[in-house]
Amino acid sequence: MQIIRCAALAMALALLPGVAYPQGKTAPKDTKLYFITPRDGQKVRGAFWVRFGLRNMGVTHAGDEYQNAGHHHLLVDVNDPIDPKEPIPQDKSHLHFGAGQTETQLELPPGTHTLQLVLGDAKHYPFEPPVVSDKITIRVRQPASAR
Amino acid sequence: MGEIRNFRSGNHDEPPPHGSMPRRLAAIIVGDIASYSRLMQADEEGTHVRVKRIERDLIQPSIVEHHGALVKTTGDGFIAIFDSPVEAVRCSIVIQQNLVGRNASLPKDSRIEYRIGVNLGDVIVEPDDIYGDGVNIATRIEGIAEPGQVYISGAIYEQIKHKVVCGYESLGDRKVKNITDPVRVYRVLPDADAVGRTRGRRENTLIFLLGVTLLVIASGVLWYLLAQPSGRVKEQAAAPTVAPVASPSPQPAPREAATQTPQPSPSLAAPSPSPAPAASASASSAPAPSASASSASAPSASTSSPAPSPSATPFREPEMIAIRGGSFAMGSNDDPTERPVHQVTVKPFSIGKYPVTVREWNECAAAKACGFTAIGKDDAPISNVSWTDAQQYAAWLARTTKKSYRLPSEAEWEYAARGGTQTKYWWGDKLQPGMAGCKDCGDLAVEQPAKVGSFKPNPFGLHDMGGGVDQWVEDCWRRTYQGAPGDGSAWSGGDCSSHVLRSGSWKNDSRYVRPSNRDGYDTNVRYPTHGFRVALSP
Repeated sequence: MQIIRCAALAMALALLPGVAYPQGKTAPKDTKLYFITPRDGQKVRGAFWVRFGLRNMGVTHAGDEYQNAGHHHLLVDVNDPIDPKEPIPQDKSHLHFGAGQTETQLELPPGTHTLQLVLGDAKHYPFEPPVVSDKITIRVRQPASAR
Repeated sequence: MGEIRNFRSGNHDEPPPHGSMPRRLAAIIVGDIASYSRLMQADEEGTHVRVKRIERDLIQPSIVEHHGALVKTTGDGFIAIFDSPVEAVRCSIVIQQNLVGRNASLPKDSRIEYRIGVNLGDVIVEPDDIYGDGVNIATRIEGIAEPGQVYISGAIYEQIKHKVVCGYESLGDRKVKNITDPVRVYRVLPDADAVGRTRGRRENTLIFLLGVTLLVIASGVLWYLLAQPSGRVKEQAAAPTVAPVASPSPQPAPREAATQTPQPSPSLAAPSPSPAPAASASASSAPAPSASASSASAPSASTSSPAPSPSATPFREPEMIAIRGGSFAMGSNDDPTERPVHQVTVKPFSIGKYPVTVREWNECAAAKACGFTAIGKDDAPISNVSWTDAQQYAAWLARTTKKSYRLPSEAEWEYAARGGTQTKYWWGDKLQPGMAGCKDCGDLAVEQPAKVGSFKPNPFGLHDMGGGVDQWVEDCWRRTYQGAPGDGSAWSGGDCSSHVLRSGSWKNDSRYVRPSNRDGYDTNVRYPTHGFRVALSP
C-alpha cells in the first residue's frame, strides 16, 4: 500500500510540470519593447533599417525556453488585435525573427504604414501580458530616382 | 553612434587633457573573440568582414542602447564603459544571446564567439582609450571566461545581484596575472537551463523524487519484459544487429497492411521497426531496444540485412507522382517577391502526392533520424518542422530506401503546383470551395491541419499544393527572382539563413494559396504551420 501511494505521489510529481505548463509565459513587469529606429512619424525613402530595442528581457532563438527571453516579431500594417491564445501568425505582414535578429531591412511601397513589435516565446506565443511596442506610423516617400 | 560621439567630444570639451586626469568610476566591458587567429587563418577577409559586421550591427547598437560608450575596438575585441553595472551586464547578455542566434546556422569551427568580462573600477578616461587596473582586471576576467560566456567581478556582482534577473555561479577567488589581490569571479547564467546546474536543495529533492518515479516506471517495464517469453528478449539483447530484421516483422505487419501505399518498394532496407509512433518514445517497450540498435548501426546493418530477409516489413514510403519535365513561366506580378516572371525549364522528377504525414515522419523519428516524435493524427501532415528538420527526414528517407529523395526545388514546386495551368489558382482565377485549405477558402474543419488529401487534386494528381501546411523547398530565400536560375535547379548559395516556404497554410488567406506565392523563414526555426513534401530525382 505504502509503495503504491509513494508511486502515485511520484507519478503526480512527474506529471506536474506537464499540467502546470502555461501557454502564455509571464514577462517581467518593467519590460520595454520599442523601436530604436525609425521613430514615430519618420519619413523614409526606399529600403530602410528597423532596429528593435528590448529592455529587461533577453533576445534568444525561437525554440529556446530560456527564462525572461523571447524573439521579435514585426507587424506591418496589422490592425487585428493580438490573440494571446494563438501563436503569432506567420505571413507577409507578421515578420518573424526567430534566429534572434534585432534588426531588419524593410522595403515598403510608398505611402503610410504602421509598425509594431511583439515579443514571442519559444513557441511563438505572446507573453502574458503581451510584450508589445507602441505602434508607430512611418511614411515611405516615392523613390528619389522616380521614373 | 550619437552617444559615442558625445562621450568622445565631451572629454575634449570639459577637462583640459593635460590638466588633471579625468578619472571616473565605470563598469568596464572587455570582449574578445575566441580562437580569432584560427578564424583568421581559415578565412582572413571573410572573418574580418563578419567581425566588422557584428561590431556594427550588434555590439555598437547594444552598447548605445544600454547607455554605454564604446571606447575602442581592437582587431578581435572591444572595450566599452558604462555608468551603470546593471546596464553593462544586460548589454553583455544581449550581445551573447544575439551571437547564439547568429552562430546557430554556422558550422562549429566558423562561429565567432566572444568572451566577455565585466569589472567595476576607477579608470582614467582619455578620448580614445581608458587606463587603470580596473581595465586590466576586466581583461583578465575576460581571459578566463569561456567562449559565449559573461564573467563578472565581485564588485559588479554586489551591484547587480538583486537587479538583473538571472543566475550567477561563483567561481571563487581567482588569482589573475600581474594583479596582486585575487579577484572574485562570477559566471552569469542568463538561461534557466544553466541556472538548473546550480540549483538549490529543494529542487534537488524534487529531482530526486522524479528520479524515483522514473525508476519505478523503469522497473515496471523491466518486470513487463521479464514476464514476456524470455527467449525473445534474450535474442534481442544478444544479437542486436540481427534483431531489427527479425523481431519487428510480426508486430507492424497488420498495421502496414492497413496503410499500404500503392508505391511498390521491392528492395527496401527496413531498419525502422516503428513501434506505435504516437506512443511516448521514451517508454522502453519491447521493440524500442531494437530500434535504437538499428539506428546505431543503421548504414551497415541495413546494407547487409535486407537481401536475406524478404519478410522485412516495407515501411511506408511517401506516395510519389512522376512529373514530366517542361517549360513554364515562373512567378507573377501579384506580389513584389514573385517578380520578375521568368521562363524556367524543369527536368523530369517525382514529387510527393501529399505533404509528408505524421505517420511517415514518426517512422523517421522512431529510427532516431528525425528530431522529435510528432503527436497528431497519422494522416495529418507533419507540421512544426524547420527546414533543417525537413532535410533530416529527406536524408533519412534517401538513406533507408537508397533512392535520391530530397526536398523539391522552388521551381519544381511551382511547376508541380500549377499543374500545367497559368491561371491565378490551378483551378482558375476565382476562388472555389473544396479546392484548398485556407482561412477564407471555404469551410474549414475544426481540427487543423486537416488530414492530407482532404481537398481536390490538381491536374497532376497532387493534393494540397496550396493551403494546408506551408511547405519547405530546397532554395535559399531571396526577396525577388532577380538572377534566379532558369534550369529548374534549386537556387542556393549566398547567405542562407532563411529558406523558401511555399503553399501557404490553413491560417493564411487565399492570396497565399496561389501557386506563385512565396515567402521565406528562418532555416532553423520551427513554426506550427510549416511542413514539407519530398521530391525524387529519376
